[in-house]
Amino acid sequence: MYKLGNNNIQRRSLLAKLGRLLGSTVPYVGGGLATFASGSSDAQGMYSGTLRSLPELIDPIVKGAPLFKTRIRIEMPLLADNGNLVSLGIKSNLPMTQNEYVQKIYLLSQRNPVVQMALFYLGPWSGDANISTRVRLAGSQFIVALAQTSKGEFYYDQFDVIVTESACVDGS
Amino acid sequence: MNNKIQTSSQLARRDFLKVSSSSAAVFSLGFYMPVKATAANKSELVPEHLNAWIEIYPDERVVIRYARVEMGQGSSTSAPMILAEELDADWKQVRIEYATAEENLKSKRVFGDMSSVGSRTIKNSQEYLRNAGASARAMLITAAAQTWGVSESDCLTSMGTVIHKPTQKKLTYGSICAAAAKLDAPKSVVLKDPKDWKIIGQPIKRREIPDIVVGKIRYAIDTQLPGMLYAAVAACPVFNGTVKSLDASRVQNRRGIVKVLNLNDFVAVVADSWWRAKEALKEISIEWETGESAKLTTASIQSFLKEGLQQTQLAVARKNGDALGVLDKSAKVIEAEYFTPYLAHATMEPIVCTVWIQGDSMQVWASSQSPEATLATAAATAGIDQTRVKVHPVQLGGGLGRKGAQDYTKQATLIAKAVEGKPVKMIWTREEDIQHDLYRPMSLIKLRAAQKPNGDLDALHIRVSAPSIFTSLLKMPLNNGVDGQAVASLNDHPYAVENCLVDYAQRNTNIPVGFWRSVGHSQNPFARECFIDELAHEAGLDPLAYRLQLLPASAVRDRAILTKIAQAAQWDKPLPKGVFRGIAETEGYGSWTACVCEVSVNERSEVKIHRVVIGIDPGYAVNPDNIQAQLQGSVVHGLSAIFWGEMTIKDGRIEQSNFHDYRMMRLNEMPVVQTVIAPTGGFWGGVGEPTQAPLGPALANAIFAATGKRVRSFPLKNHGFSLAKA
Amino acid sequence: MSIARLQVLGDLREGQIVRIRLLIQHAMDTGYLQNISGQNIPRNIIKKITCQADQFEIFRVDPSSGIAANPYFEFSWRVSPAKILRTLWVDDIGVEGELLTPIDVKINS
Repeated sequence: MYKLGNNNIQRRSLLAKLGRLLGSTVPYVGGGLATFASGSSDAQGMYSGTLRSLPELIDPIVKGAPLFKTRIRIEMPLLADNGNLVSLGIKSNLPMTQNEYVQKIYLLSQRNPVVQMALFYLGPWSGDANISTRVRLAGSQFIVALAQTSKGEFYYDQFDVIVTESACVDGS
Repeated sequence: MNNKIQTSSQLARRDFLKVSSSSAAVFSLGFYMPVKATAANKSELVPEHLNAWIEIYPDERVVIRYARVEMGQGSSTSAPMILAEELDADWKQVRIEYATAEENLKSKRVFGDMSSVGSRTIKNSQEYLRNAGASARAMLITAAAQTWGVSESDCLTSMGTVIHKPTQKKLTYGSICAAAAKLDAPKSVVLKDPKDWKIIGQPIKRREIPDIVVGKIRYAIDTQLPGMLYAAVAACPVFNGTVKSLDASRVQNRRGIVKVLNLNDFVAVVADSWWRAKEALKEISIEWETGESAKLTTASIQSFLKEGLQQTQLAVARKNGDALGVLDKSAKVIEAEYFTPYLAHATMEPIVCTVWIQGDSMQVWASSQSPEATLATAAATAGIDQTRVKVHPVQLGGGLGRKGAQDYTKQATLIAKAVEGKPVKMIWTREEDIQHDLYRPMSLIKLRAAQKPNGDLDALHIRVSAPSIFTSLLKMPLNNGVDGQAVASLNDHPYAVENCLVDYAQRNTNIPVGFWRSVGHSQNPFARECFIDELAHEAGLDPLAYRLQLLPASAVRDRAILTKIAQAAQWDKPLPKGVFRGIAETEGYGSWTACVCEVSVNERSEVKIHRVVIGIDPGYAVNPDNIQAQLQGSVVHGLSAIFWGEMTIKDGRIEQSNFHDYRMMRLNEMPVVQTVIAPTGGFWGGVGEPTQAPLGPALANAIFAATGKRVRSFPLKNHGFSLAKA
Repeated sequence: MSIARLQVLGDLREGQIVRIRLLIQHAMDTGYLQNISGQNIPRNIIKKITCQADQFEIFRVDPSSGIAANPYFEFSWRVSPAKILRTLWVDDIGVEGELLTPIDVKINS
């Protein structure tokens, strides 16, 4: 993660997934507290559903077909002030010709109760595969845009969003 | 201080250290390279950045970044202490500086979550802070070892110096910081054993105390900017109402009045002084569109909650065995209903937010517990790119959970948009602040129990009827329909009982609710620990002995804090005539707390509190001086609420408006508070809130012992009780 | 009854790519929230939206509860000769909506 280098190396900042990781994996060394439906006061977060992994989201759709992390990009603010209404843009330079075009774009959530936020159907008539919409986010998570082309190939992008929530989670 | 690490069944000490050092993803130091400063003049020194958190100057100064909010809770001292510990810095050389929201945004969140909420600053950040300190220390050792041409394993650090053990050669951090800054961070580090801590555990005075004492401290409300305007606002007194019409003719052309704004949800007056704005606002006649909420009264809400208790389809928060069945068959069922009212936060510094929009960029000085939320809200409201928003770190005059929400940021930004490039400071009056709060929810709790002949619990059913903060405020879906805060300390109670049912009736109204310091723990332990007391009384057993009987052996920490507080209060010794006591215990926010109150009550129902013994086991006590202050402070905050705190609603409006009808404790009413800090080690619990939890029930139990009167609702004034002067 | 708005941005000339903005008024109830009396608000979301240029489908989306209330979509269309853009949608409880937008496409001669 840290490149070995010489004196003038420009160290890249890590994509710190701290907020999300720490929120979900608080090493709670608790004695005597059973895990009940809503957990201890320590865990009253906005955890709707579990945090899925990238393979969990993508594999059932891609099913072993060629998969590339390029040519499609999610554009969103890094910080969402409110999980109920977050602007999301999908930008892609994948071709949209009769020979080769984006057929579907899956919008997948790591944390929402429902994984598939939307499924878009496009074609050569679309001209391009750029889509904008507004989504709901059940907490900080990453979002995946997964495009399926007429050639049976898949292209994806992953974007980490922090939902700052208009108030505090888990107390004052 | 007892720093014994408790090896629990879940995480052995070895594993704990391994997790810290090898989980690279959590080990984020994310190097954020600021533009290297060039010295303005020769005498100004330039610091070396060892990582995002630590800068070391050639003259030994160490700057440690603090990435949360300081609102008097003291973590701007405790959090850096944790870093300084692993760094082995000389604390006298340490300076603490805020990290900003925009730095965090630019560096893809290298500083992690910046909100100060949930009593979890220390709990959630201790691991990466310690790693950051240890990593920088390792780099300094490497740099020194390289300079000397020796092996790193022969080097140790102490008080800002690297020492070569065999030869006792020394190099100060300042002298090698440049060399260290050129190195890469180590892939893994070894954290100190708590028994070797020299800084953590020290009662270091909070960093801002000198400034507070001499009046130099600047709160959000003290923001002053050139050409700044001031805004006073009024939102509809009936919640969710909107402006139907307004007549500002009387004030429109008044001297100093810049603008009168109808912003639909609220009206704002912008002037060249806040006094003028506030006075003008009073003279604007506003007609509000109020809707259904105008029918709400305290009584209507209370009966709505009562209906909730009778519901059949309820969300289940905990179910073991068959509580309902056993209770149905029991010859004797002990039953009680406990009630707690809406409470306002009433932070000393009211809601205030200053916004300055200049073209496509903006700056915000907000009394906010979440700078990132402020940034996101301000940007979204102004339509300005997030990277062009600067949120200035400010000291808050209290947060208490009110200031995580960003309703005021939105208001101030809308006002700023209307004043073309001038900074505007929006301040809420105390009345506006109290009447537009996000209140601690009203709650009605019904408890029923059947006991075995020896007092053990056969069955326990706890039903909570209360609004849901997560649904109303955050619009978040609930896990299985249960709002965790509404049932906090109830669904996770530690007492042994085979048949236990805890269920929840969600009852949302248009009264906005939010997180009041300790949230569900500010009201549920009252119901729980007083009911346990009722059961003890029913069984003819001493309240402490009864709890120890009911707590299973596995409830190690509950038993420990209970025993410690009893010892400190000398529970086994008889009290003087006329003095009675009560006890209570609960877990909260990852810590365990307990309290004993000693009171006398005279024939005029004046409650004289002789002593409050209140204690906490936070696992590790980072700054005992601060923890003591939290314990003492929560007694003040708690007693104010317990004796007088309630919001009453009439015609959909909050009736209280200022401190004359929302009373706070007076100096001459402050009882003796004896604090017990009993860290058992092995975990990191919160401190900001849990200390509130056991006070109410301990006091109510003491009042029962003194008067035979069982108090089942707060505030105490409604039962005729008053707080006697100390 | 929900209100919908469709806006076309760009040059409506055959072969050009234009942007289409669609906004439909609909609560998109997720089924996870409760109302003021604590009763569950049943799930009702728009589950399918299609946009046709005359007879031909030019856009389709299957939204879920993860799409915010008052669903908004912006997508591209390579203009073909057509007289009407017809937007259709249906929600969980079967209520259908239709928005007709007449357009004037300049055909390349």
